[in-house]
Amino acid sequence: MDMKKNFVLALTAAAVILSACGKEFLTVEHPTESPLEEYFTTPEHLQEAVIAAYDPLEWFDWNDSQYTPLNIMSDIMADQIWVGGSDRSDNKFWHLMMNFEALPTDTMSGLWSSCYSGIKRCNDVITYIGWTKDNGLSEADAKLAEAQVRILRAFYYNILWKFYGNIPYYEVNLTGDFTCQQFPADEVYDKIIADLEGAIALDALPMKWTGDDQGRVSKAMAYMLYAELTMYKNDESRLPTALNYMKDIIAADYALLPDYGIVFKEEGEWGKETIFDINYKDDNAIRGWSPANNPLAAGGTILPRMISPNGWSGDSIHDNGWGFAPVRQSTYDMYAANDARRDATCWNVGAGNGYSPRYQDTGVFLEKYIAYKANNAEQLADADLNFNNNLRIYRYSETLLNAAELVVRGYGSGDAEGWLNQVHSRATGENVALSLENIKKERELEFVGEGKRYWDLVRWESDSDDIKASKVLVPDEFGYRTNSWTASKKYLPIPQSEIDSAKGKTYELTQNNY
Amino acid sequence: MKKIASLILFLGLVLSAAAQNVTVKGVVQDSTGEPIIGAFVVQQGTNNGTMTGVDGDFVLNTPQGAKIEVSCIGYTTQVIVNNGEQNLVIVLPDDTQMLEETVVIGYGVQKKSVVTASIAKVDADALGVTSPSRVDNALKGLTAGVQVTASSGQPGAASRIRIRGIGTINDSNPLYIVDGMPMGIDGIDYLNPQDIESIEVLKDAAAGAVYGARAANGVILVTTKKGVKGKARFNYDFSYGWSSPWREREVLNATEYALMNNEGRINAGMAPAYADPYSYGEGTDWQKQVFNYNAPSQSHEVSVSGATDRVNYYLSLGYLKQDGIVGGQFGRSNYDRLTLRSNNSYTLLDRTKERNWLNSIVLTSQLSYANIHSKGVAENSQWGSPLGSALALSPILGVYATEEDLANYETIYAGQTLVEDENGVFMIPGMDYNEMVNPVASMHLPANQNWTHKFTAGFSGEIQIWDNLKFKSSIGFDLGFWGNEGYTPLFYLSGNNKAENSNANAYSAQSFSWQLENVLSYNKTIGKHSFSALLGQSAFRSKGQQVGGSRMDLPEDKYSKPYIDNATGLQEDGRMSVYGSYYTEHRLASYFARADYNYDERYMGQVTLRMDGSSRFGANNKWGYFPSFSLGWNIHKEPYMVDVIPSWLSNAKLRFSWGMNGNENIGDFRYTVMTARGNNYIFGQNESVAQGVKSSGLANPDLRWEESIQTNVGLDLGFMANALTFTIEWYKKRTNGMLMEIPINSYVGESRPIGNVGIMDNTGVEMELSYKFNLGPVDFRVGGNGTWLKNTLINLGNDSGFQNYDSFQGAGTASRAENGYPFVFFYGYKTDGIFQNQAEIDAYVNKDGEKLMPNAVPGDVRFVDANEDGKFNDDDRTYIGDGTPDFTWGINLAANWNGIDFYMLWQGTAGNDVLDLTRRIDISQSNLPSYMLNRWTGEGTSNRLPRYVRGDSVNWQLSDLYVYDGSYGRLKTLQLGYTLPEKLTKKILISSLRLYVSAENLLTLTKYHGYDPEISSGGTSLGIDYGVYPQPRTFRVGLNLKF
Repeated sequence: MDMKKNFVLALTAAAVILSACGKEFLTVEHPTESPLEEYFTTPEHLQEAVIAAYDPLEWFDWNDSQYTPLNIMSDIMADQIWVGGSDRSDNKFWHLMMNFEALPTDTMSGLWSSCYSGIKRCNDVITYIGWTKDNGLSEADAKLAEAQVRILRAFYYNILWKFYGNIPYYEVNLTGDFTCQQFPADEVYDKIIADLEGAIALDALPMKWTGDDQGRVSKAMAYMLYAELTMYKNDESRLPTALNYMKDIIAADYALLPDYGIVFKEEGEWGKETIFDINYKDDNAIRGWSPANNPLAAGGTILPRMISPNGWSGDSIHDNGWGFAPVRQSTYDMYAANDARRDATCWNVGAGNGYSPRYQDTGVFLEKYIAYKANNAEQLADADLNFNNNLRIYRYSETLLNAAELVVRGYGSGDAEGWLNQVHSRATGENVALSLENIKKERELEFVGEGKRYWDLVRWESDSDDIKASKVLVPDEFGYRTNSWTASKKYLPIPQSEIDSAKGKTYELTQNNY
Repeated sequence: MKKIASLILFLGLVLSAAAQNVTVKGVVQDSTGEPIIGAFVVQQGTNNGTMTGVDGDFVLNTPQGAKIEVSCIGYTTQVIVNNGEQNLVIVLPDDTQMLEETVVIGYGVQKKSVVTASIAKVDADALGVTSPSRVDNALKGLTAGVQVTASSGQPGAASRIRIRGIGTINDSNPLYIVDGMPMGIDGIDYLNPQDIESIEVLKDAAAGAVYGARAANGVILVTTKKGVKGKARFNYDFSYGWSSPWREREVLNATEYALMNNEGRINAGMAPAYADPYSYGEGTDWQKQVFNYNAPSQSHEVSVSGATDRVNYYLSLGYLKQDGIVGGQFGRSNYDRLTLRSNNSYTLLDRTKERNWLNSIVLTSQLSYANIHSKGVAENSQWGSPLGSALALSPILGVYATEEDLANYETIYAGQTLVEDENGVFMIPGMDYNEMVNPVASMHLPANQNWTHKFTAGFSGEIQIWDNLKFKSSIGFDLGFWGNEGYTPLFYLSGNNKAENSNANAYSAQSFSWQLENVLSYNKTIGKHSFSALLGQSAFRSKGQQVGGSRMDLPEDKYSKPYIDNATGLQEDGRMSVYGSYYTEHRLASYFARADYNYDERYMGQVTLRMDGSSRFGANNKWGYFPSFSLGWNIHKEPYMVDVIPSWLSNAKLRFSWGMNGNENIGDFRYTVMTARGNNYIFGQNESVAQGVKSSGLANPDLRWEESIQTNVGLDLGFMANALTFTIEWYKKRTNGMLMEIPINSYVGESRPIGNVGIMDNTGVEMELSYKFNLGPVDFRVGGNGTWLKNTLINLGNDSGFQNYDSFQGAGTASRAENGYPFVFFYGYKTDGIFQNQAEIDAYVNKDGEKLMPNAVPGDVRFVDANEDGKFNDDDRTYIGDGTPDFTWGINLAANWNGIDFYMLWQGTAGNDVLDLTRRIDISQSNLPSYMLNRWTGEGTSNRLPRYVRGDSVNWQLSDLYVYDGSYGRLKTLQLGYTLPEKLTKKILISSLRLYVSAENLLTLTKYHGYDPEISSGGTSLGIDYGVYPQPRTFRVGLNLKF
């Protein structure tokens, strides 16, 4: 009987111990990753979170579901390039956007999701700064991190605001049913500019980064963003500040490269003219199509592949492409023969010369980002995705032209004529007279294929001359564009799936009146 | 009924009488005194016998003192000695063995007569005959409700098993429990089917409930063999087989190809390419080049078993080697497996006769080891698998390059390493064929060598405490090592299938699991009340790790020793890489209880509750509770029924069950967020990659198991003392909370969290029939089963209500899941014949008179405006078929006569479709199926196949033209054996020697023209044929030796 008793006792004890162990027993450690609250508590790890906030910049060309190269997405809505590709069903939403008939069910969603990914990561960094402050993060480093992510956040929101206008805006990441209030475009602008001003006020960033820090947001980059936002908004109260910022950049260590021809070549990357680039590389680059290789990995870009001639066999220097974004013949023709920008912008092959023409072919391709075999030679994954061409976001020539325009428009004083002619004479060796029209003309010539033209035309809508969206963005002689731009086309339709997902939740989304 | 049967039997019986014998007379009665008609009365060991007449009477002459056997189905056989009696009354007691049959249920066994849940059993007899190479294949055709689809004919390939339909859009594999130890789907490969005593399939929720959070997709219990009391038994089984494909696809020969190619070009406005099509003759039969005919296989199996009062032992050694019918001839597609097993139990204490407390202790140990090697070839792929390429390549092309080719290759492929063998350099099809390559050349490249070592060990001790109260404690271990190694030589097959760098690579992994269980059980019968109870605890833990690497630049002279150390690439050049980490641990903690009650075996009830905690569940749902109950009523045992039911109805049981199970296979750490590495960015002119880390997503602390609720109603009937049994069951199973990304807004800036959002329904009817009878001295056993199943996806859980799965190059989406349809169906256009002339095109208009297909020309397909919106476009794609059978069936027949045994198994499906995607329409140069000879060539020539135009992407958009009836019936096994007479074999000390010949897949009846109507690769590709690796037809000879 004793034995029996012992048995029952042992059993009871075992059961008690086991259930007590239950919770601990069921908690396992992740083999390679750590819980966030543990990890993001040191300055080094905080730095890694900042890096991750930059990461979505590289997805604009291909975000694993859509091709949305930042420059091309606005340029197809302007008047300098066509859409191309195999036919109107190839990247159909590009063709629809070009003809101002984007559909909520077939519209650009790639930039929407890429930018919000960046915003979410920026917000996280601000949370992590709080976690790290107790663990030896210096005040200066905290400010440095905060300034970077707030400016990046403003940069991402700037893209969303320009393309979609009335968007959900948040600075603290969402919880609950994960919805967020949608604000009218004007209120969105107020929030972005206030955040940017706050970040600039931290005064934590250098005017220019050097060495291995090139590519981080700098004070100059923040100023350029400020100018872009305020000029696009025609925010008269802030435009004097924008001009002052431009003048600060002009006073700093930036300059035009002497030869426009190398600005878009590899040797032109990170030169004196570069204010902000999205950095791509091909050496050991591992961006790949398959999920195993990671289509979003830091590496190269696919933009050159997309815009180069299809089935190229004309020489052994250039590489094959898919025939998107052919340059309009009128764009080639607008340059004077002595303008160095013509051949640096347009690669005039001649229709069908060494390649298979595709839709909207002109025989002219965008030289600025054309595919060279040397530019993805050292990649280690998928050749398509790993061209090393940096995407130029802000160049010093834009600073000069912004400054000149702001002076001409009366927001302050300065050597507007000199600034304009720095740009003009570099390309042509000649000078032009200072006038608003010449500045507009100069921007048109200077920034082909750089994603500036459409926004310029829209913001010039209130000017009295005819260089404005509603006059320029009209049906063409080829029958490609049959609709005209109107004010309601300013904001693209919000992707229908986003409207659907929000239905019945705390904050619903209202579709833009496109 | 019995009378009629007897008369038939009587007519068929040949009697032989012996002279100068003693005559015995008598009657045969059952236990109630009723005469038994048609009972056999036979002198033992002879053909001398008779059968009882209508009064149960018989007369037989035998030598004095001879032993006479009296037998009848449904009764226990009696033996008497002939002393010349004239009024002998022989009473044959009811054979209750059939009812006493037990089935293994979770944590115990149960008498079949009182089982109330739905459990299917396959015993060693059935497994022994079909001699499968894997356990999963063994179940095919033998039980209702279990759908086994071979994924491939590649040796060692796992089958896809679905119990009662596809339970979830996620992991629908059942739980495998081998001798109490859970195994992953990949883990049962190590089992030698010859070691298996029985397989029980727990089908309904009540049966599975004791496995709680893992039972939602059904449970397969495997019990391995034990010794049988008596002297040691030695057993040796040997078989040798030859496998070949049973069919080739009909494709064009070289002349037909040239003719069709010319026609296609002319129709596309191009010049014909072949001036003299008839000069090419038959050309190359690429399928013959790829297939391996008479691929050998062999197996050896040695076992020793036996038992005494104290020790029970079973030891076995098995070896299986199999070559594949595609690539086996080139050292690819091979499989071999060595297995060892030792099952022992020791009775340490046995005082059962002396006292009722602490009177018995039994220890059990089960050890097994398996060593597996395999090599494979690519299969069922649209991207240039050997079979896919064989179908695509022009028959005009030769296997080897001609002299002319070689001269061209020198310039086109300068600097490339072309594949060659002793007969020359292999032909290169070139750019025209996209991913398709010369299949013979591709099979000459080395394959990775896969290897596995697997040890399992189980120890348990059972101790009697008091009365029928027992305590059992068991611990199980599962230790696996696996990996692969290989190398890539320099080679060139095509522009996108080449290696410009050689490399050597290796990968190895290991896992270790243990399970600790303690179970307290008690059962008691008081008068007519029987009850039992079970209380248990279980803890499980599994962990593992992997490491692998590869290194470029393996010199050619080291191809025979292709190891990483022999390669010369340097890490600093990015030519050497390693990886490795632990796998996420998986832990389960569980408590379970079960209570059974029956009154006089008339009314039965069972209640089960399991409580499972899993490391995979979210913080808010760490523990799940899984209840079930079942009820049974043995109608024939009701006293008042005795007069009502006819005597030939021997068993009638009604069963009902309800229960809730879970599916815990939901992945690890999906409920929380962790750091995620690799969110990098590039800075500076030096383009250095800065390491970025973010959160891995959005947390869903509520994440929990997928839950299935199932109701089951069953009726078991037995006739003629259960010689004939019939079972019919109906069930309805709903899976709630299927895991899917929660449809939140993408502006949260993060990938969507996983949530329990989807719903799936399965409902079905299952029938099983078995009949045992004799025709004279021949014993027959017939079994049949049929399953009707309907699967419906109620709610996928995402915002669109659909998700696309497979796609086909050039034709787009091929399969889709959508609310309200069977889970995964073929998605495309419906067609309505061929436009015979322009008038038909003009007449094909919508209600406003607008032409639906204005660009069509005569000979084009008339696509249907399925959504009736007056337009023909993308939105008209719809359901055009699915790969899930409505009905699956199996029939087996066994017969024995004088040492000769015969067995056959038929199985098949009905109502399933096949999507034939073997012809890449974007490859204009591709060879064509022979049916294309029946294409439209002018008015009235065809109303199904469109005109042939090179580069035609319109007529061959994904549509029902690709869909075929995939129903089939297959003679899965046919076997004929002969056991040598004992008196012959005894002389050489052999107790039994059986020789047999058998055939697998001898006959397949199907309308489908492909290699095999049975197609399953990957979870959602059921029925999609990209060039499936067919199951071979195998002829086998073998012997079983016992001594």
